[in-house]
Amino acid sequence: MWIEAVKLFREYMGTGLIVVWFLVSVIYLWVHEKKKYVRVLFLYMPVILLLLYFNPLFAELVFGVAGGEIYYRIIWLLPITIVIAYTCVCIYGDMVRKHNDSARDRTPEGKVKKGLPSIAAVVCLGGLIVISGSFIYDNPFFHKAENLYHVPDSVVHICDAINVPGREVMAVFPLELVQYVRQYSPVTRMPYGREMTVERWNYYNPLCEAMEAEVIDMEVLAPLVKEAECHYVVLPTARKKIGKPEDYGWILFGETDGYEVYREPARELTIPE
Amino acid sequence: MLILGVLLIGIPVVVGGIFSCVEDMRGKLLFRWVSGQFLLWAGFQVISVPLIIRGQDFGRLVWAFWLYMAALMLFALGWGIRRGSFLLHVDKEGKAKQSSELILWGICAAMLLFQLVQAVRLAYADGDDAYYVAISASTQDSDTMYLRVPYTGETTLLNFRHSLAPFPIWIAFLAKVSGMSAVMVAQTVLPVVLISMSYAIFYLIGAKLFPEGGGQLALYMIFTELLVLFGDYSFYTAENFMIARSRQGKAALGNIVIPFLVLLLLLLMKRLQEEQRVPVPLYLLVGAAAVTGCLCSTLGALLICMAVGIAGLSAAVCYKKFRFLLPLAACCMPCVCYALLYLLLAD
Repeated sequence: MWIEAVKLFREYMGTGLIVVWFLVSVIYLWVHEKKKYVRVLFLYMPVILLLLYFNPLFAELVFGVAGGEIYYRIIWLLPITIVIAYTCVCIYGDMVRKHNDSARDRTPEGKVKKGLPSIAAVVCLGGLIVISGSFIYDNPFFHKAENLYHVPDSVVHICDAINVPGREVMAVFPLELVQYVRQYSPVTRMPYGREMTVERWNYYNPLCEAMEAEVIDMEVLAPLVKEAECHYVVLPTARKKIGKPEDYGWILFGETDGYEVYREPARELTIPE
Repeated sequence: MLILGVLLIGIPVVVGGIFSCVEDMRGKLLFRWVSGQFLLWAGFQVISVPLIIRGQDFGRLVWAFWLYMAALMLFALGWGIRRGSFLLHVDKEGKAKQSSELILWGICAAMLLFQLVQAVRLAYADGDDAYYVAISASTQDSDTMYLRVPYTGETTLLNFRHSLAPFPIWIAFLAKVSGMSAVMVAQTVLPVVLISMSYAIFYLIGAKLFPEGGGQLALYMIFTELLVLFGDYSFYTAENFMIARSRQGKAALGNIVIPFLVLLLLLLMKRLQEEQRVPVPLYLLVGAAAVTGCLCSTLGALLICMAVGIAGLSAAVCYKKFRFLLPLAACCMPCVCYALLYLLLAD
């Protein structure tokens, strides 16, 4: 467990620089901070938390009860952002004070302005954060939202087309869409969902395998769709197919955003009154 | 949208009036907003979990929570009128701000605005939304709670593990009352509100750390925003959750509940240092934060107990005062109850 806790901590640190600045800040506050309540929250609490985090007995207990995957969330209790920001302002304040003291000694009026050195200090500290961290919007998972639902337009168009007022419909979607479908349309049911996209969960579904094959074999897919009692099948237009869907009784219901939507007529779809 | 504005800003500000006696600090309006919201969240958790476990309809929860909100608002208004603090007091600083300070606050506001615009403009593809947002959407549509598999829509037995932290049901409540779809509330409206709330809490902490305010507070906020904006150094950071996954309960735990708890502990310890009496509403707020932690994530119970326990014991040793530990421990009792429930019910 201890090794896993260390591994998670290392993963949490990423490049490690921000956590290093946090530890440097803690040391700085240890030396300079006078307010007791700040010391308790920004020094003693983080140190005890880290000791607990790396304690093998504690790790084993939490791993056993809550699972190892979320153990890293204990690190959220370290007030990393607050401590670094506070320390930066303290360092800046100290620099300004020292600069002012020395400038006051030199000028007969005793008046000084904050001036260039203090601005330079702020820019340097800010620059250090920028260089050490990683810009959040550079994260590859961010993309321009296609609509206010933050799901692909294709999902909106397909679900709007296949939904029937007053009842649920069963539809099978390609894997790239499954995680969005039920966020947008809770009346669309699916034979499999997002669980198939997480490799470490090791789910297997023959219908999913047939849907995701490089070349879709209609001979394999059609009976699986019937077995899953699907009303609709959504297939990527560009994907090659062996056999014509129409030959298996499927009716082309529509085509949108690079997907073909087929109606499987074997499953009745009555509209409730 | 107007209804959501009332639910997420108006009502919490009124309810937060109950806590106006806790601290006469800079940013009183923000403190009212955040503390009021915490009391509402805590109530939602206390009302919803028994209803979910008993398999009751979502509609019943909506009515029960409306009643709770109405009662709280009446109490807050009555309390405010009695104490004469009904009206919001605008901070009368009277001090003219220096131009350098104004520039710093301008930078700070621009950075915040940038993040709020990005929250609407950009989408973050996170697989966990397929669970949490789908739960909200399914609850709004089917009037049942945790009785559908969110990934597929099949009916299922109650999922105890997730039902003890029903943050998605709160989103479903907002969606139902406002008439908007749950996915739009979760993906577009809530990020704006919750990111703002996180920064409001950071501001309140800063106001306590730099009571003289001025440029230091503005500078602290700029550094905080920089650390959040450049906080994507790994997939696990609280900052990543705050910006990318703010609609998920665990993000609210890391970026709203825990920072708010830090603020409350700061207020409490400052009182201890100044040898002042700790007001009961402050303990009530710690309790509300503890319950809200459980609303956000099942791990919240452990994290809140750890934070309160470690900070409380450290403060007790430092100040050689131990009497405040008892009410502080009482504040953690809801967490202990939810943790026991989790151990008993979850598979």
